[in-house]
Amino acid sequence: MPRRAALRRLGWGFWASAAWVVLLVLAAALADLLPLHPYDRTLAGPPQSGPSPAHPFGTDGLGRDMLSRVVYGARVSLGVGIGAVLLGLLIGAPFGLVAGYRGRLTDAVIMSVNDIALAFPALVFALAVVAFAGASMRNVLIVLGVLGVPAWTRLIRGATMAFAGREFVTAARALGARDRRILWREIVPNVALPASSYAFIGMAVAVVAEGGLAFLGLSVQPPTPTWGGLINEGRNIMETAPHVVLAPSLVLFVTVLAFNLVGDRLRALTDVREIGLEPGRRRAALPPLPAAEHDVEPALLQVADLRTHFETARGTVRAVDGVSFALNRGRTLAIVGESGSGKSMLIRSILGLLPAAGVRRGGKVYLEGREIGDLEPEDLREILGTRFAAVFQDPMTALNPVRTIGAQVMEPLRVHLKLTRAAARARAADLLASVGIPDPVRMLKRYPHQLSGGMRQRVTIAMALSCDPDVLFADEPTTALDVTVQDQVLRLIHRQREERDMAMVLVSHDLAVVAQWADEVIVMYGGKVVERGPAAALFEHTRMPYTEALLQAIPALSDPSHKRLRVIQGRPPDLAAPPAGCRFQPRCPYARERCASEEPPLVRAETRDHLYACWYPLGTEAAAAEEAEIIEGTESRGR
Amino acid sequence: MILRKALRLPLVLVVVTFLSFLLLNLLPGDPALQILGGSATEEARAQLRAQLGLDDPLFARYASWLGGLLTGDLGTSYVTSIPVLDALADRLPVTLELLVAAELLALALAVPLAVAAARRAGGAIDQGLTTLSFGLLSTPVFVLGVVLILVFAVKLKALPATGWTDFSVDPYWNLLSVLLPAVTLAAGQLAVYSRLLRTDLIATLQEDYITLARARGLSPRRILWRHALRPSAISLITAIGLNMGALIGGTVIVETLFGLPGVGRLIVESIFARDYLTVQGGVVLISVGYVLVNFAVDLVYAAVDPRIRRA
Repeated sequence: MPRRAALRRLGWGFWASAAWVVLLVLAAALADLLPLHPYDRTLAGPPQSGPSPAHPFGTDGLGRDMLSRVVYGARVSLGVGIGAVLLGLLIGAPFGLVAGYRGRLTDAVIMSVNDIALAFPALVFALAVVAFAGASMRNVLIVLGVLGVPAWTRLIRGATMAFAGREFVTAARALGARDRRILWREIVPNVALPASSYAFIGMAVAVVAEGGLAFLGLSVQPPTPTWGGLINEGRNIMETAPHVVLAPSLVLFVTVLAFNLVGDRLRALTDVREIGLEPGRRRAALPPLPAAEHDVEPALLQVADLRTHFETARGTVRAVDGVSFALNRGRTLAIVGESGSGKSMLIRSILGLLPAAGVRRGGKVYLEGREIGDLEPEDLREILGTRFAAVFQDPMTALNPVRTIGAQVMEPLRVHLKLTRAAARARAADLLASVGIPDPVRMLKRYPHQLSGGMRQRVTIAMALSCDPDVLFADEPTTALDVTVQDQVLRLIHRQREERDMAMVLVSHDLAVVAQWADEVIVMYGGKVVERGPAAALFEHTRMPYTEALLQAIPALSDPSHKRLRVIQGRPPDLAAPPAGCRFQPRCPYARERCASEEPPLVRAETRDHLYACWYPLGTEAAAAEEAEIIEGTESRGR
Repeated sequence: MILRKALRLPLVLVVVTFLSFLLLNLLPGDPALQILGGSATEEARAQLRAQLGLDDPLFARYASWLGGLLTGDLGTSYVTSIPVLDALADRLPVTLELLVAAELLALALAVPLAVAAARRAGGAIDQGLTTLSFGLLSTPVFVLGVVLILVFAVKLKALPATGWTDFSVDPYWNLLSVLLPAVTLAAGQLAVYSRLLRTDLIATLQEDYITLARARGLSPRRILWRHALRPSAISLITAIGLNMGALIGGTVIVETLFGLPGVGRLIVESIFARDYLTVQGGVVLISVGYVLVNFAVDLVYAAVDPRIRRA
């Protein structure tokens, strides 16, 4: 039951606070019926006597019972608090609803007035108005209520806007429902939660404001007790009878805290989870997954049985599920697959850039035969800075918007290579020139938003190359760029790879790009490697039907314009609940019974280093044996 | 954005001054009677009415009052016979020192706390900060001030409870006398600032450029302070401006509580002395100052976020 779960999520703090508020409201309302001393009877007990059974909060300087005075004081505080919030809501909500629902000019006008109203020092105005108009509960309530209007308008408008654009409201509007009806039936119920949350916070604000006015002697006048007034009286005898000031202070504090907590918990019902830079609690780091047996190869980069699983509410998501490869200097390894196949997550797993919480990792990464997973953070950072480098997909988000290009390009040089500022500046200009950026010295002073997407990607490439890395990880480096720029950038990366004799891991979903630049290819599907091998072998003797489907999905410029684009039917698998057997099986045109029950292992093809995971690989006898009966009536299978 | 705000500034100032001006009209009955007191003669009252222009139409009165305001003439108090402007000028440095000290104190604590909390969201520091700021937010200024006086002045006798020593008289005692009031004022700001900055930092930490900074092998400390802090500071800067209203309201209470001779206490004293012209002058000074501070804050944006400069 979602409703019950929501109630439980409120937590004990919410219920304790709500109980305190209810208790206080009851006590204030029924004060006359409670067995209390009259609040104004002097010498109800000895003056300034501390807490005792007869006077639980003690007595004040005139011997009046403090408990009774605090309870009667609650009448003013709660009365003003609740009254001011209702008044503010009553005036502010209609404006907010109309502004948020109508939008455009109505919104612009209401919000400009509102912004001006917000540009007031509210408390000073409240003070002045009460000073001139007279200190009474009515005046205080009206002033605090009216001063709360702008905040209410803003809040209700925001909440209304969030819902006015939703499908069900748009649908109701399209169906011709009347605005008034839509507002009442669709929007008001949805705005109710944020509004009730803010009501409690607003009450806290109003209670504090009333307390402040009362403290200055500008709220309800004596003999009626107010919390602020009690505190003001008490501070004069603080040295001899601190309880007189502490009792109302404590009650006021607890009350304000209770209002805030209730409001905050209600608001938190709609919150999302937050993740920091490092794990919040050491305990939260999940134990690693076991890695399969493997030999350590003399390669530059070796990845062995790498796994990255996310623990989510829906279950374990196996984003990367046992990926192995080895890569040597001067080679380009392409990783291909659809969105969500785990390509990018593989890169992030190798580089250790996973979110701080809810991740289980497994497998090993070796650099020149040395495992980097158990290095100290400083040593790992040294490797990340000088031996590995990364370029991401979107150059618009890859650069820090508030730092100059120069500051960003120079930073790795200063941190890792310990260059002086002048040397780093000269080197940064050289780097920018080497990636084809005109006028590099001036470029150093500019900000990312002043650059085009292609230029920004060149800058991120320059930054990646700055410390002469051994392995460059390029995660869809051209996907976000204009088609005309894509080829230039790929050429640039490739040339740099050759000149610097780096190894490169190129993530892409574009097989045309891969065919042109890659030496080796890994095809990923559902977090697993389904085919892997030298580019030529893999493209010419494709074994895995998924690879074939990807190849057929490439549109060729030579295709006639009316040719239908081939797409892969179905959706990528849900990695929290992957299909049984082969993960591609539900979408595979060649799938048979065995595919749904047994998961195919990676096996070796005749060509050297060509691996695939399929029970009925294309172009082999295993597939041919039953081919006729399976694809009868369908078009030719090509290869 | 800056241009729009600059165009709006005069409008806001007109509204703010007009409302301050209207305050006198809230006085029940004859303002002249209220101002001069019951013992004043009918001629004196008539003279004051003419002087205040109370018999003129509202807007004509506002225009002439605004004219006086612009030339620095806020009238002369009928209670103390001191020009209102002089009284305010005399008190302003104390309030400014208090405001600046509180603001600096709040920021000096809030920024490192927020950075530490965001680094490990949900961790011990983060949860501690959440609890602390919740408690501080729920503590009214006068309650905190009273408790601080009770602990540091009455019990420990470490700091003066009330009173003011001018900086020119004795810098050390000046700092001592501003310390408790500034801490009292800073507490609420600290809570607001640290929560706000923490939340924005956590959002910024999800950005690609932060992931790439990590990929470049930069230390968490460097990433937080050099890469994440500035893009996350916009809401904080807005809050500094908007909270100035609460802070100024707080100075009225704090100055009264700690017996500091600032503008806030002058206003409160004048209220009880029925010195309405001084109250009005104080309100105008504070409102206009508040609006100008917020405008200045908008200008600071541009320095923090280069993207805004062009807009």
